[in-house]
Amino acid sequence: MKFLKKIDNTQRFLIVIIVIYCILVQSRNSAFLSLATLFTMFRSAAGTIILSMGVLMVMISGGIDVSFPAIAIFGGYTSLRICMACGIQSMFLTFAISIAIGIVLGVGNAVLINILKLEPFIITLSTASVYFGLMTILVGTKNVGATDLPAQFKTLSKMKLITTTNQYGGEIGLSVFIIPVAICVVLTWFILRKTLIGKGIFAMGCNNEAARRAGFNVNLLRIFIFGYAGFLAGVMGVIYIAGTNSVNPVSLVGTEMSVIACVVIGGASPTGGYGTIFGTLLGVILYYLFSQTLVYLGLSASWQSFFMGIVLLISLITTSWQRRVQNRKNFIYTE
Amino acid sequence: MAGTNNIVEAEHISKSYVGVQALDDVSITIKEGEIKCLAGENGCGKSTFVKIIAGVENATSGTIRIGGKEMTKHTAKDAIDAGIQVIFQDLSLFNAMSVADNIAMNKLIKEGKPLTNQKEIRKIASDALALIGVDIPLDAQIQELSIANRQLIAICRALALDAKLLFMDEPTTALTKNEVDSLLNIVMGLKKRGIAVVFISHKLDEVMRIADSITVIRDGHKIGDFAASEIDSKKLAYYMTGREVDYQQYERKNDSEDALLEVKNLTKKGNFEDMSLKLRKGDILGLTGLLGAGRTELAFSIFGMNKPDSGEIYVEGKKVTINNPDDAIDLGIGLVPEERAIQGLFLSKSVNENVAAAILKRIKGFLGSIDSNRSRELSRKAIDQFRIKVYNEDTVISTLSGGNQQKALIARWAATGPKIFILDTPTVGIDIGSKAEIYEYIQQFAAEGTGVILISDEVEEIVANCNRVIVMFDGHKVKEYTEEEMKAPDIKEQINRLVESGKPGKEAAQE
Repeated sequence: MKFLKKIDNTQRFLIVIIVIYCILVQSRNSAFLSLATLFTMFRSAAGTIILSMGVLMVMISGGIDVSFPAIAIFGGYTSLRICMACGIQSMFLTFAISIAIGIVLGVGNAVLINILKLEPFIITLSTASVYFGLMTILVGTKNVGATDLPAQFKTLSKMKLITTTNQYGGEIGLSVFIIPVAICVVLTWFILRKTLIGKGIFAMGCNNEAARRAGFNVNLLRIFIFGYAGFLAGVMGVIYIAGTNSVNPVSLVGTEMSVIACVVIGGASPTGGYGTIFGTLLGVILYYLFSQTLVYLGLSASWQSFFMGIVLLISLITTSWQRRVQNRKNFIYTE
Repeated sequence: MAGTNNIVEAEHISKSYVGVQALDDVSITIKEGEIKCLAGENGCGKSTFVKIIAGVENATSGTIRIGGKEMTKHTAKDAIDAGIQVIFQDLSLFNAMSVADNIAMNKLIKEGKPLTNQKEIRKIASDALALIGVDIPLDAQIQELSIANRQLIAICRALALDAKLLFMDEPTTALTKNEVDSLLNIVMGLKKRGIAVVFISHKLDEVMRIADSITVIRDGHKIGDFAASEIDSKKLAYYMTGREVDYQQYERKNDSEDALLEVKNLTKKGNFEDMSLKLRKGDILGLTGLLGAGRTELAFSIFGMNKPDSGEIYVEGKKVTINNPDDAIDLGIGLVPEERAIQGLFLSKSVNENVAAAILKRIKGFLGSIDSNRSRELSRKAIDQFRIKVYNEDTVISTLSGGNQQKALIARWAATGPKIFILDTPTVGIDIGSKAEIYEYIQQFAAEGTGVILISDEVEEIVANCNRVIVMFDGHKVKEYTEEEMKAPDIKEQINRLVESGKPGKEAAQE
C-alpha cells in the first residue's frame, strides 16, 4: 500500500501501458511471458539502463547531457585496445581504464559548463563531437571481431548466473551484466535518495540560486554529477562491447536521444528538480518491450520509434496540461 | 530586553556595483535578542546590506565582526555557521521537493553529514512546524502550497537551524492578519531565547509593534538608529523618503455621465457572480475585498483572459465581446496585473522592450519590423515622465527595484493611451516614495479623462485614490459606495468592517 502511494501519475500510466501491452503480446504468442524473454530483454537493455541512470541524475540537476555515448565508446573502446595491445586479461583493469576515462571526460563537461556558464546542452553537444573525434585520432576506429576480443570480454559476454530453456529448447541465461547494472542502479538510488549530495542535486534542479544560497557549492555538485555520468558511461562502454561481442566503435554514437527519451518518458522533469529511478526503469522497459516484441504483433521493428514517440507525447501532454490548468487558476498564461 | 552581547557588528560597509554606489559607509550593530527593523525605500541598499551580512555578496570595503570575531572572507557558509539566516523575499524554496526536505535542507547542509536519514529529516521538519504551531503535510510538494504556507515553510527552515540572527525580507506581505499575529508571537518567542530578528518590512505598523529599534537607510546611507518608541509611521516615512508624504483624497472633476465601461450581470462560475459596474470618464473606481473575493478574476474577464459564463460588457455604450488581451487593447483597455514579475514583465528584457511591449503594433515599420528608434524615444520619454531610476533604457528590468519595475509597467500601458485602465494591487511590495508617485500618476490619468479601476487590499489606498468603491466578498458585490458616501469621515472604518465581515453580501446571496 505504501508503495502504491509513492508511485506518481507517470509511473501509473506507464505501468498500465506495459501491462496492457504485455497482455496483448501474450495473446498473440503464448511463449512471451517467460523467464527466457525476460533474460534476453535484460541483456540487450543492460547498457541503456546504466546510461539512463546518468541521464536521470543530470536531468534532475536541471541539466542535459548528450555526450555520454561518445564517452562510453571512448572509454570502452580505448580500454579494449589497450587490453589487446598490452595483453591485459584482468576484468578489473578493463573496467578501471574505461571508468577512469569516463570520469575524466565527464568532469571535463562539468568544468567547461562551470567556466563558460553556458547551457549544458550546447557544451555536451560540442564535447560529444570533440571526444569522439579525439578517440578516432588517438585510438582509431578499427573494427574488432569476436575472435579478436580479449578473454575477459568473452567471459563477460557468455557468463550466466541462472539458466532456463526457451520455447525451442535452447538454453537462455541471465547475463552476468545484472551485477554491474544492479550496482549502478542501487548506487544511483543511494546517491539521489540517501545522501546530502542527492538533496543538493534535486535542490539545484529546482532552483539553482536558492541551492547556492542554502550553502551548496553548485559548481562542485555539477562536477560530481557529470563525473558520475562519466563513470556510468565508462561501465557501459565495457558492457556494450561485451554485449555486442565485437565492436564497431562508430555504432554507439547517435543513441543518446533514445536514452534521453526513456528518462523523459519515465517522468523526469526536463527543467530539473524531479525524476525517479523507478520511472526511468519503466521507460527503459517500455523501450525494449517495443523494440523486441513488435514482431509478435506482426509489426516491424520500425514501429518502435513511432510508439515511443506516441507514449512520450501523451505523457508530455498530460503533464503540461495539468500544469496549464493549475497556472490558469492562478492567471498565469505561459503559452 | 535586548542583551548586551553583539551578534553582528558591521562597520563602515560600502558596496559599489559597476557605476552604482549601493551602500556608503553603513555601520549597524545587532544585539542578542534584539528585534530590529531595517527600513528604507526599495533600492535604498537595505537588501544589499542583508546580502553582505549573509555572505552572498562581498562588501567593497568595511569590516564585519560576528560574535566579536572579525571575518576576513565572509562566505554564505560562514554566515550560516555563525547562525545567520536570511529569509529572502523570493523565499528560495525548492518547489518540486517536499515540505520536509525544504525545512531540513539548510540544517542538513550545516551539519554536513554525507548521508541523510528520512526519519531525521521528518523530525527536523515536524519540530520546526510545531514551533510555529502550524500543521502542513510533510510530504506535500512546495508547489502545491499556497504562498502563505510557503512563507511559513521558509520561516521553519530558518528556525530548524537554531538561528542566532534571522533576517526576514518582507515576511508579512502574503500573510493574513492571523498569520501575521502568530508570526509576531513566534518572533517574540525567539527573542526570549536570545535570538535576534531583523525585519525588512513595508508593513511598518505591524512590525513596529514588537521592534526594539529601527534603522533607516536612504540612498545607500544610514539615516540613523531610532528607538521604536520614539518614532511614528509619519516620521518614519519622512526619514525613508526625505520628504513629507501626504496623500490627497481624489476628487472627480469630470462632469460627463456617459459610461466608458459598463459591466452587466457578469458571472463566471467559481470566480464571481452577477457583477455589475459602471465606469465614467475620470472615475477611479476602487475594487476591494479579501483575497479570493473575485476581484482579480473580474479584472481578467474584462481584459479578455478569463471568459465569463454569462453577462454583458459595454464599452462606450457598444456591446463588446472581449476574447483576448488583443481585443481589450484595441478597445482601449489596459491592465497592470497583480503579480508583476510573473504576469506583467519580461524580466530578462530591457526597460525599452518592456515599455514598448503593448504598442508594438503602432511602432512597427516597413514589413512589420519594429522601429527601434521610435521604441527608444518612447522609453526615454517614459523613463523621464515616470521618474524610473535606471541607468538607461537598455538596462535589464530585473535589476530594477520593485517600485521602478512597477512604474515601467505602468508606463507600458500609459503608452497605449488607454481609455480604461485597470490596476491590480499596483503598490504591493513597493516603498512609500514610489507609492506616492504611483498614486500621483493614477490620479493624473483619471484627471485627463481615463476611467481607472483600482484593485487593492489597502483601504487607505482605496480611500485616498477612489471616488467610488465596490466591496466584494466571496464573488459577490457587497456594496457600492457612491461619491457622496466616500466623503464620510469614518469611511475607512466602514469599508474595513465590510471587507472583513462581508455580511451584506452573504445575506444578499441567500435571498
